[in-house]
Amino acid sequence: MAPPLMQRDLGPYGTLLDALRGVAWPARRRVRGSVSGTHRSALRGVSPEFTEYRPYRQGDDPRRLDWKLLARTDRASIRVTSDRSTLGTVIALDASASMAFPQPALDKWVQACRVAMGLAAVALAAGDPVGFIVAGANGTRHTALRARRSVLEEGARLFGEVEPAGAEPLVPALAAGGSRRGSRLAIISDFLGDADDLLSLARRRSSAGDEVHAVHVVAREELEPSGATLLAVDPEAPELRRPLAASTRDEYRSAFALWRAELGREWRAAGAAYTEVPTDEDAARAVRRVVGAGTDATPGSAER
Amino acid sequence: MTFAHPWALLAAAGAAALVIALHFIARRRPPTVPFPTARFIPVRSVRAPSRSTRPADLPLLLLRVLALLLLGAAFARPTLDGERRSLARVVALDVSASGSSAREARDSAARYLRAGDLLVVFDSAARLITGDARDSLAVLDTTAMEATHARGSLSAALVAAARTASALGAHADSVELVLVSPLADEEWDAATGAIRSLWPGGARLVRTERTRDSSPVGIEATSAKPASTLDDDPVLVVVETLHDSSARAGARIVRGTPSAADSGWAGGAGRVLVHWPVAAPETWPRRERADTIGAVVAGGAVLVADFARTVAPPGGGRVVARWMDGAPAAVERPLGEGCVREVAIDLPSRGDLALSESARRLVRAMSAPCGGARDLDSLAEARLALLRGGDGGTGGGRPPVRSGEREAGREMPWLLAAAALLLLLELPLRRASAAGEVEGSA
Repeated sequence: MAPPLMQRDLGPYGTLLDALRGVAWPARRRVRGSVSGTHRSALRGVSPEFTEYRPYRQGDDPRRLDWKLLARTDRASIRVTSDRSTLGTVIALDASASMAFPQPALDKWVQACRVAMGLAAVALAAGDPVGFIVAGANGTRHTALRARRSVLEEGARLFGEVEPAGAEPLVPALAAGGSRRGSRLAIISDFLGDADDLLSLARRRSSAGDEVHAVHVVAREELEPSGATLLAVDPEAPELRRPLAASTRDEYRSAFALWRAELGREWRAAGAAYTEVPTDEDAARAVRRVVGAGTDATPGSAER
Repeated sequence: MTFAHPWALLAAAGAAALVIALHFIARRRPPTVPFPTARFIPVRSVRAPSRSTRPADLPLLLLRVLALLLLGAAFARPTLDGERRSLARVVALDVSASGSSAREARDSAARYLRAGDLLVVFDSAARLITGDARDSLAVLDTTAMEATHARGSLSAALVAAARTASALGAHADSVELVLVSPLADEEWDAATGAIRSLWPGGARLVRTERTRDSSPVGIEATSAKPASTLDDDPVLVVVETLHDSSARAGARIVRGTPSAADSGWAGGAGRVLVHWPVAAPETWPRRERADTIGAVVAGGAVLVADFARTVAPPGGGRVVARWMDGAPAAVERPLGEGCVREVAIDLPSRGDLALSESARRLVRAMSAPCGGARDLDSLAEARLALLRGGDGGTGGGRPPVRSGEREAGREMPWLLAAAALLLLLELPLRRASAAGEVEGSA
């Protein structure tokens, strides 16, 4: 028996993609795309899906007049239909050194890749073109927006080739990777780098009507550090060295939780959807939470 | 096992204790771990305390302590020499002619000899008796000891004792010198005091009976000349002045050719036949050129006169008198248990030389018992005190350092090598331990 479609050449992501079969990622707003898709379009035109009639106004296309209704009522009315369109989805991954944690399992990077692949699969299932942008120490790597299934294989290959390192900012990478207006942008990061710039970008894109998702990957070891005393070194700023001991652990937890709460609040205030994804959470569940974050970002609310 | 420098062991133990304490109380720098959210950790001292009720890095601690103890043991110079005694003895037994009874001397020495002690037998020379000293002492030939004419030498005995005591020093805390000797004055020489000072501590003096002084030796003289001319013979005149009717005749001066009876007499124990011819026999070697000499020396006697020299005494014997230029004037040869002296000194007959004390001394020296004149008086009290040493001769002392003691610490290089090896292992073990801490904390 041939393997399921999703598992072909996708290595460790096959099971995840199978688990996400049937999951939809509806656009939070009407999209402006002209290609027929599954998302409600901001354009109203000639599709067969009838919505309403409205009186003819000067300038309307006379071809859209409902002649039968004019004959019956002697009033000129325009037949209004709802269009469906695709939504280009750009998934941006932060491949900075802070994502390479904890060593040597790199749980944050692995979880980010899984979520990215899951989101891509969900978007592709709706016919949306998907592209990846990865910003790491070796520069920005990206794939073009395509709606083909091979996009997943390209993404798996790309993630396998990238090793998170350095402190490359994500905002320039988004510009270089062709993240254009009118698309959906999903940023998967730990937001320990250029968080402020990303937030500004999200504000601008959201104001422009774009849909922005922030997926915050957090390692379990960051949430609950071990009891051992250690000298913590920021991998992106080695000069920052702080001792993490029993006496400072509680203060650390409080400060980190406060920062995460503030970060979520700011992203939501900017009009973006914010989802925090711990590394020990099942990736399929995390993807469901992300795609449902447009209505409720509380963990667990995206279960369907 | 004994240690030459026990303080090194104590120092090593102290250092090991310090290391153990440091493993308990050290404020160690925590392992450095990459931590992306380090910025949320409050700013504190970079060195965090890490105390524990258990010592950190137990294998490392054991290795360090072992290395320190090995170093201490190496510098303590251990000696693996089995049982160590508190006191060992070197018994110096005098077998010279100064003693009257060899058996008594042997028994005296036996009282002080124990297993493991050393026995040094000496007369004019000293020798170490190897093997079991008590067995050697039991089979000592006392007859030969009593027949000897050799003089004793305390200097030789002390030098030999100091040398042999070094071997005992490796097996005993203290070494005692026991000197079994008649301690006659003739056994002391100019070097004895200095040599005695080389022995630390005291010496036990066991005095044996001295041989009886044979003086005054009865001297009889015979002459081939007519009795009417005897008064012109200065030797006979001197002999006459020395005549002691009560003394046993131990010396016979023959002014002519010794007869067979004379030779037979001379073979008796302690007898001296002095062949002092008026006219030298044809067999005596003639000097190439007859001359005169101003003095002759024999033992402690010096006689100054104009001596005519035409012959020399026959060679081959022990020189007992010399002319002032060093040429032999009289020699002595053993004969049986006695000896024969051949004297080539022509005493001037003119003047009153024969009446002088120097002439009498010369004749006495020529008539002295075999081996020369003896001084068998007891040593002066000052010299005895010097021999005993500071503590009255009852205490022991460590012998001077000799090669035997340098053997202590033969294990030192091995111990140092073992300690160095452990210290070399310490570095990789420390790195492995540090790596383990990092992995455990991550």
